[in-house]
Amino acid sequence: MSRRTVNSILVVYLLVVWTAVIVRCDRFPLTWVPMYSTYTPTEKIPVVVIDRKNMERGILVTHRDGSKGYVTAADLNIPITHFWRLYYQRMFGAPPAKHTQGNMNLGAVNRWIRGLDEGEPNFSVEWDWLVIRSLNKTLGYEPSDPKFIVGAEAESEIVHYQKKDLLKKDTSKPERTTLRAHPQWKDEWLQRWNDDTL
Amino acid sequence: MTLSKSIGRAWNSFFYEGFSGESLGLLRLYFGCGLLFYHVTQFFELLTLDPTGAQFYFLEPMWHFALLGIDHHVPMLSFVVFVVLMIATLMMALGKYTRTSIAVVILCIFFLKGNRDSFTGDVHHRYLVPIQMLFLLLLSKCGHAHSLDERCRKIKSRIEEWQASWPIKTMQFYCAFFYFWSVLAKLRVSGWAWADGGQIQEELLERSVMWGLTDAGEAIRNQLAFHMAQHPDLLMFLAHLTLAFEALFPLILFVRSAKWRLIFLLGVTFFHLANFILLYVGFIFLPVVFLIFFDLVPVHAWLKANFRHYVLRKPWSPAPG
Repeated sequence: MSRRTVNSILVVYLLVVWTAVIVRCDRFPLTWVPMYSTYTPTEKIPVVVIDRKNMERGILVTHRDGSKGYVTAADLNIPITHFWRLYYQRMFGAPPAKHTQGNMNLGAVNRWIRGLDEGEPNFSVEWDWLVIRSLNKTLGYEPSDPKFIVGAEAESEIVHYQKKDLLKKDTSKPERTTLRAHPQWKDEWLQRWNDDTL
Repeated sequence: MTLSKSIGRAWNSFFYEGFSGESLGLLRLYFGCGLLFYHVTQFFELLTLDPTGAQFYFLEPMWHFALLGIDHHVPMLSFVVFVVLMIATLMMALGKYTRTSIAVVILCIFFLKGNRDSFTGDVHHRYLVPIQMLFLLLLSKCGHAHSLDERCRKIKSRIEEWQASWPIKTMQFYCAFFYFWSVLAKLRVSGWAWADGGQIQEELLERSVMWGLTDAGEAIRNQLAFHMAQHPDLLMFLAHLTLAFEALFPLILFVRSAKWRLIFLLGVTFFHLANFILLYVGFIFLPVVFLIFFDLVPVHAWLKANFRHYVLRKPWSPAPG
């Protein structure tokens, strides 16, 4: 390669990586490095507590024939960290970090590039559909199958810390709540299932 | 005219000076060895799965998987590709079929990362700097020194300084700005509120309380993180420190002293180590890429001399220079 060619490569390379930063592109191997960037100050900090027994028991599922059972990480053959995300985040409709980063404070230019209106999210996903689809497809169930999963359930304990309590180093009595997620199969999804579209 | 000449001179001086072909070859060798370990840390969890077990349908496939229509995981294929990745990385490090090996490494990373990050849609950023380095090594003549390819070559080729320097300098540029962009992202997304330490406080609480609490309200695990979360002043200081070091990272490109670069990068390594211990942030092994900020010729000579003396028990012959 001549020096002239290398100069051209460098200019194109630098333009591409900087453009990715400016337009907030986070598609590997391009990035705007948004890790741990999202923060909205609040007085109350909610924290999810993982229940190992729940995790080991798995996701409670209801089959089309009315029977119930549990689906574990081993059944799905996925790493435990991903099962944790599935159980405690996606089941509850919580998106991956990249969605929050991509949606938060999107400037006018970046909204215009993506054709988004004011307040319209960049990422918007129907997690219930994805969870039910994934469970059934992975376990080989079809909608007509009596074992087809029509509902899934998960439970999550949330501990809420008040900032003023943390300042006083008082962590003895945080407020606790329990959330339940139950994505359900909708018959209107049948067309999407047949078309095999996400 | 003068301005354009000055820019041209600065451009040439930055991108085309400072490293020899030897440096580039050694960078490939040591970076390749580091990658062998790095791959294991990144893809280990795929190897814990049952190769003949269920094929999980991804919740959100990565963009290239979506483009190619790959919507489920084939565990056996991940095992095979991982073996290919390790072999290709070893060949890259040794400099055998160098360019082809690097291309295979890049493809394998795309495949394995695509699988790992498509399960539930969480895309990790730990391969970003390494993949840029691999791309630049692919374009460079890194296989022309300290390589098996070079030993087999009948006509030896000489790598000019500019040919060796531009890939390494571009890697330095990318790595330095990777940290700088991180500050930009924080300010663009959260504004100066990020500097109040609240984000770190939330992360510390999340990563300590997630394992459960004792009856007295103490975290069962990661107690250091739990106690740090109760010191907002310290967290505000750490947030400011993080923003400052990330914003100033590009200055390393202009630091001539290897000693000061080493001190700074040791500080960054400590930052990643602390993040890993307190917050489980997986960038702990990223410092393997910091090799790009040093000329490895004297380092290699020193290691070689010590290896000869202490391991092979040969008479002491100090490294030249």
